[in-house]
Amino acid sequence: MKRVIASAMLALTLGAASPSMAFEPESDQPIKLMIADWSSMLIDTEILNIILSTYGYNVEKVVADDSARYPGFESGDLTIALETWQTTQDKAFTASVATGKVLDMGELGPHAKEDWWYPAYMEEKCPGLPDWKALKDCAAAFAAPETAPKGRYLSGPVSWGGHDEERVKALDLPFEVVHAGTDAAMFAELQSAYERKAPILLWIYEPHWAPTVYAGSFIKFPPYEAACYSDPSWGENKTAAYDCGKPEGWIKKMAWAEGEKVWPCAYDIVRKFTMDGKEVGELVYEVDVKARPVEEVAMEWAKKNEAKWRSWAACAQK
Amino acid sequence: MADILARPDGVAAWRRNWAHAVLPLAILAATLFIQGPLAHLPDWAVVPLADWVGGGLNWFAREATIGGVKVADITRALATAAEMPIDWLKVLLAEGWVTGAGFNKMHIAPPLSWLGVILATSLLALRLSGRGLALLTLLAGAYLVFFGLWLSAMTTLASVVLCVITALALGLAMGIWAYRSPGAEAVLRAVMNIMQTVPVFSYLLPTLLLFGYGPSAALFATVVYALPPMVHATVLALRSVPAETLELARMTGCSRAQTLLKVELPVATPRLAIGLNQVVMMTLNMVIIASMIGAGGLGYDVLRALRRLDFGAGFEAGMGIVALAVVLDRLTQVAAHNQSTGRRGLWKRRDTAIAVLLLLVPTAASLAVPAFATWPDGWTLTTAPFWNGAVSFINQNFYGPLEAIRTATLLGVMNPFRDLLLAAPWSAVVLLVALAGYALGGLRTAFSVALLMLFIVVTGYWEAAMSSVYLTVLSVALALAIGLPFGIWVSAHPRLHQPVQLVLDTLQTLPTLVYLLPAVMLFRNGDFSALIAIVSYAIAPAVRYGMAGMAHVPSERIEAGIMSGCTPWQTFRFVRLPSSLPTLILGINQTVMMALSMLVIAALVGTRELGQEVYTSLARGETGPGIVAGLCVACIALVADALLKSGAARAARHEGAVHV
Amino acid sequence: MSEAHLISPSKAVEARPVALEAKGVWKVFGHGAGAFGQLPASARTPEALASAKLVGAVQDATFRIGRGEVFVIMGLSGSGKSTLLRCLTRLIEPTAGEVRYDGADILKLGDKPLVELRRRRMGMVFQHFALLPNRTVLGNVAFPLEVQGTPRAEAEARALELIETVGLKGREGRFPAELSGGQQQRVGIARSLTTNPEFWFLDEPFSALDPLIRADLQAEVLRLQKTHTRTVVFVTHDLDEAIRIADRIAIMEGGRIVQIGTPEELVTRPATDYVRRFVAKVSPARVVRVSSLMGPFGGGGVTAAVKADATISEIAPELVTATGPLAVVDPGGRQIGSLDRQRALATLAAGA
Repeated sequence: MKRVIASAMLALTLGAASPSMAFEPESDQPIKLMIADWSSMLIDTEILNIILSTYGYNVEKVVADDSARYPGFESGDLTIALETWQTTQDKAFTASVATGKVLDMGELGPHAKEDWWYPAYMEEKCPGLPDWKALKDCAAAFAAPETAPKGRYLSGPVSWGGHDEERVKALDLPFEVVHAGTDAAMFAELQSAYERKAPILLWIYEPHWAPTVYAGSFIKFPPYEAACYSDPSWGENKTAAYDCGKPEGWIKKMAWAEGEKVWPCAYDIVRKFTMDGKEVGELVYEVDVKARPVEEVAMEWAKKNEAKWRSWAACAQK
Repeated sequence: MADILARPDGVAAWRRNWAHAVLPLAILAATLFIQGPLAHLPDWAVVPLADWVGGGLNWFAREATIGGVKVADITRALATAAEMPIDWLKVLLAEGWVTGAGFNKMHIAPPLSWLGVILATSLLALRLSGRGLALLTLLAGAYLVFFGLWLSAMTTLASVVLCVITALALGLAMGIWAYRSPGAEAVLRAVMNIMQTVPVFSYLLPTLLLFGYGPSAALFATVVYALPPMVHATVLALRSVPAETLELARMTGCSRAQTLLKVELPVATPRLAIGLNQVVMMTLNMVIIASMIGAGGLGYDVLRALRRLDFGAGFEAGMGIVALAVVLDRLTQVAAHNQSTGRRGLWKRRDTAIAVLLLLVPTAASLAVPAFATWPDGWTLTTAPFWNGAVSFINQNFYGPLEAIRTATLLGVMNPFRDLLLAAPWSAVVLLVALAGYALGGLRTAFSVALLMLFIVVTGYWEAAMSSVYLTVLSVALALAIGLPFGIWVSAHPRLHQPVQLVLDTLQTLPTLVYLLPAVMLFRNGDFSALIAIVSYAIAPAVRYGMAGMAHVPSERIEAGIMSGCTPWQTFRFVRLPSSLPTLILGINQTVMMALSMLVIAALVGTRELGQEVYTSLARGETGPGIVAGLCVACIALVADALLKSGAARAARHEGAVHV
Repeated sequence: MSEAHLISPSKAVEARPVALEAKGVWKVFGHGAGAFGQLPASARTPEALASAKLVGAVQDATFRIGRGEVFVIMGLSGSGKSTLLRCLTRLIEPTAGEVRYDGADILKLGDKPLVELRRRRMGMVFQHFALLPNRTVLGNVAFPLEVQGTPRAEAEARALELIETVGLKGREGRFPAELSGGQQQRVGIARSLTTNPEFWFLDEPFSALDPLIRADLQAEVLRLQKTHTRTVVFVTHDLDEAIRIADRIAIMEGGRIVQIGTPEELVTRPATDYVRRFVAKVSPARVVRVSSLMGPFGGGGVTAAVKADATISEIAPELVTATGPLAVVDPGGRQIGSLDRQRALATLAAGA
């Protein structure tokens, strides 16, 4: 409550001094910010929420699934998403933008990476790491009783896709792909293994708190190119696609195209909204490891960086 | 003596059973020679039902119009309307009156103080029931406050209250309709059976399509989930009104409305209360899933804690749901009980005044002392480190033996059984099941189970369904092996009844995810963790029916057994067990239903079966496959239900009525 | 069986105007029951019933009940007595026949007049009380008036009056669950009389009660009937109860009425073997009235006076102390005949 009252007082003083009170939003229709089930998106979306609602916009947060979002954006059920990862959404995002109903609002800033990952202590048991070819010889080191003699690779939930079965086949890796049920179940197994210094090989993505808490590295596969996924003749295996690592790359902001006409100024703010990769990692750590509420962490950032975000909102400070 | 008498009959029975046993064996042998389309349905024969359903729903949600108005507009308007009372309740209970947002957020009035809400509720509990319930309410409230869960709990309560009211009103209306019109009853019963067995995740996506993301979608999904028991209870309750009482209504010249409002509903209240109670419990079951689609509250706390692998915090938030469930459950039960026994006038006008004072004084005080509005973060308790430490300790010290158990079960039992089921040709399995249906319930049963099985075959989910069957059969076997004997044992120890009930209530309302993740740490992602999760949930009905079956054996029969000189074991074997058989079979039925309803949750630890199909299509936003795979789960449930109910009916014919 | 054979008219009853009359009432269950009802009355025979594989719960019930008469329908379970009672109130729709109240057939009534008839003129007491558990004694007794829309104060005043009449004063705030079985049925009785009905139906009202309480409540019914005479149809399976309460008794067997008569007629002149076996254990002294044994007024030599409508067992003390014939007097006290002591004592001894 102290916190709440303090922020209310702050709001009062700021409100009195700032020109933002004078700004009239273009429309009082709700701007629907999409949130999904990972922390960085929750935090940066809350920051955007603070900024937009400071200028009087009617903002709603709605939960949507990463891959299931496109119909929502095309119909206007969702207005803005701050994170669209090239690693998993490249194709779907490009296709959706091509319909003309969805806008590419530029990159958010952080760099997305995801791939097979192992804890540092496994380097002793499998000396050739992080090179992927080492996996061919030390499958036994990663084996579980039910997969032996093959190694066990813990992939993400089935819904994430990721083409790991195809990758194993294309690169002829002696591994069995086991899918985790959920993100949390995947990291639960990592924590269990890490505590016991037991073998584990799994799918990890960044920005995420896990790489900051657990020491380890990504496997170095042949780097991804679009052709690798579409053209069998590309790369190591001439007869199969997916003989490379997972794509890495941008995280983009997206928006419902019609909204440009409804809230031009808000769209301008979103276009200018950027975050630093390292900064996001730290905020995620605060939330995921220190268990602080998202709202608190976001408000703290907003106070610290007020000058920055007010500069993004030039259109609202006539 | 009993043996000698039983022998001739026994021999005949053995012959009959022998005939029953040989036929399946013959079919099994034949399966070795079945090849081609009768073993594995070719792709061209699969009906693309999923595509049709998905396309149809998308059209319905986006294009369809009723009387010139778009369906989507109607449903969205409904969603907006539903959101208003939720928001209003949230303002009152959790958020307070706020204007502005972001940096300009201003609190105009605080929410009702936790102290006031707890004291007023305890006063209600004291008046309706007595000191025991008042103390329980105080303790539950104190738990929520001291562990920093109050605001989330109130957010959850706001949506739970609205869900319960909506489900109650709709369920009553539909139940009354079904009671009055036999045609409506047949239709409603079929729909409710499917609604109860189709996994929630299946209709989550259609709900989102129709009502948009957010708390109202959660509300509608929860109502769909909680509705069937209310409709069922309403029909049963109205049917239970004695014929004489209805004659009284006619003899005094009651109109239809008077009969319903003044006679039928009041007399049926105790049984309606069972329905209300179930609605409350089922709504709280849905809290976690509702939070996945935007309901927030305690369910969201659990999800967040588990995402950062803070099992302890997840457990605490989960126990918050249990605390809420227990208080709501006991309060609704006692209120209904008072209604039925005519304990009235317990709540006096003076009490209303006191309650208002209890609510307002601390709330007003919270303007000066913020701790009355929100318990300060620094003063909260937590046991999370203990639980986390315990999980970690077990992980580091007992992983070896646990892993050995897991490996042995997986390699020795689970995998071979799964492989067997997957290898069996569909035609042989369908024939076997139909045969079982014929043996237990006759031609009609055989025909309907065969049709249900064929649905799975032609929609192309046969292999996923067999994987589901394998997990279900093993979990049910394990749950029964532990639960029934335990329940039977507990029934002989009346002192244990209450604590065991409390543990069972906790098992059924504590979100499964809370113990699913520690299980994953110890047993990895995969079928074994799923087995544990399903068993831990499905064991509750096994124990309950074990207790109920024994409790309802007529005491005269037991006395007759004892007077005939039966030893305790003989009394059990020859008197208690046969007498309670129908009830025990119903218990098996309930255990199967629970296990099937857990499949989707088990998908969260990485199973590959129908549950995973449903979950994945939800995550991918594919409406069609989700619904069709869900219908396949319902088919399995209906087949099991048909077979076991016929079995129970057969047993009951020999042993008298079923006591549940 | 002709009507004449069934009904041996009793003078006291004959004198009363007919209040309720059943004429050829049938209630048939089974497929094709409706078609059976459409047959001409002459074709509705037990044989036709059997060949159509129908069950006749009530078969060709015909009788007249006089105003103010207590008419008991008696039979064992399954004899159709409760079904017959429900046919009289149309709680069960008869398959065929007429049920006339003051000459008007209620089977032809529409819903509204029927409701009106039940509201104003009928009261019913049920075997298992049929109290509403959520209402107090007062609420239960006032219920029939409440349904009619009587103002609350008026309804409660009337209810309180009746609660006092049945001896439950001071318990009007109790709920049914807080009362004993006997008390609950007193509430049921009070409720059935709230609207001051002309017709009072009691469906095995005391069969769920203990013998002592049963006797109390039988006395209660007789007392109520004395203070306020109604036309009563009372169903029971208990012959003692029937004899104690009835003006006339109809005995049913397998859906048919096998005899109708005063208790005395049933005991002294049973129409069938079934009735004979039924009444075999009843002491004639309990049912034979002084008037039946009375001789012409012989003048002089009488030692005591007894009432003409008393039963022989009721005058046992006078018989014992008397030394010669007894004077028989009518309710006005006028001597109308004399009773031979020896003959009366023989009757008294017959069933002992």
